Amino acid sequence: MLLNAVIIILREVIEASLLISIFMAFSHKYQLPRRWLGIALPAGLALATLYAVNIATVSQWLDGVGQEVINAGVHIVVYLMLLIFLIFAMTINTDRYKQLLIVIMTIGVTFASIREGSEIILYIHGFIALPELLQPVLLGGAIGAGLGISVGVLFYYLLVHLSLDKGAKLGFILSLCVAGGMILQATQLLSQADWIASQYPLWDTSAWISERSVLGQLLYALIGYEATPTPIQVISYISALSLMLILAALSYRKAQS
Amino acid sequence: MSKTILLAVTILFSQCLWAVTPIIEIEIRDHLFYPAEITIPADTKVKLVIINTDNAAEEFESYEMNREKVIPAGSKGVVFIGPLRPGEYPFFGEFFPKTAQGKVIVK
Repeated sequence: MLLNAVIIILREVIEASLLISIFMAFSHKYQLPRRWLGIALPAGLALATLYAVNIATVSQWLDGVGQEVINAGVHIVVYLMLLIFLIFAMTINTDRYKQLLIVIMTIGVTFASIREGSEIILYIHGFIALPELLQPVLLGGAIGAGLGISVGVLFYYLLVHLSLDKGAKLGFILSLCVAGGMILQATQLLSQADWIASQYPLWDTSAWISERSVLGQLLYALIGYEATPTPIQVISYISALSLMLILAALSYRKAQS
Repeated sequence: MSKTILLAVTILFSQCLWAVTPIIEIEIRDHLFYPAEITIPADTKVKLVIINTDNAAEEFESYEMNREKVIPAGSKGVVFIGPLRPGEYPFFGEFFPKTAQGKVIVK
């Protein structure tokens, strides 16, 4: 039970943790006020609690797939915030978009905390009635959260201490990873809800890296690794990342000229 | 012309009837799935209605079927699975994985 709790909480925390480290390192490099995190985290936690409390009602919406549609929507919002962030981060030296970037980072982290936060609340809550299991679950959860936050802190210091150029490159790659994961989860949820067609997987890499393994779980959290993706998932993943690359490149070129 | 339209409508209607998605209910009780094994036809979309009678939430999860959904305590949730190729597709309750185990057999 302890190990299970470590993995569940680590997986939930790591995504938001990475996003926060990218945005905080960016704020540090460009001397933006970092107060936004003090708004984004409590707001995310409050919305996560609201969502967890009303999960039974939400689940019944839209013929029983309300949860999938809302979660997919949350993932798409995080993707869009990352997309806008990358576009405007390329033109930061003009100083004009600093306010906008702060709003984008706040919304991004708030939304990234909603689904993961609510799952953590629902998970822990289930053990309140089971006192003999509550202690290992809380301990495991604390270890998982600690590990997840540590990964974020590690990347934060790495991003901050690298040169501006290298830091920007690493931050860009990490942003793409997180964004890809968001899109992959959104398409999986919409196919689970039967809003987009279910398909046969395009390939199966579970013999090499199983999604059950720790590596598979970490890759899932980092880049949205899926051993058996469907054609729609692969197409969405590639299109979403291409769109980011193209728009960011256009914005960068415009800023240079 | 009207006959053609009538024929088209009839075919369309029969197609709709043909496409009715089978529904299978699974109950979660004392952190176990009932039934723990379900059999479904190959190449068919199936609607699973998962009823959680426990007072703790459970997360229905399957790596093989790419499915993941929180089923709130004392509530139910819908998960669409398939079309799948013949084989065995394990699923489990992520919150209580020691006991909550099951599989979908596709024939």
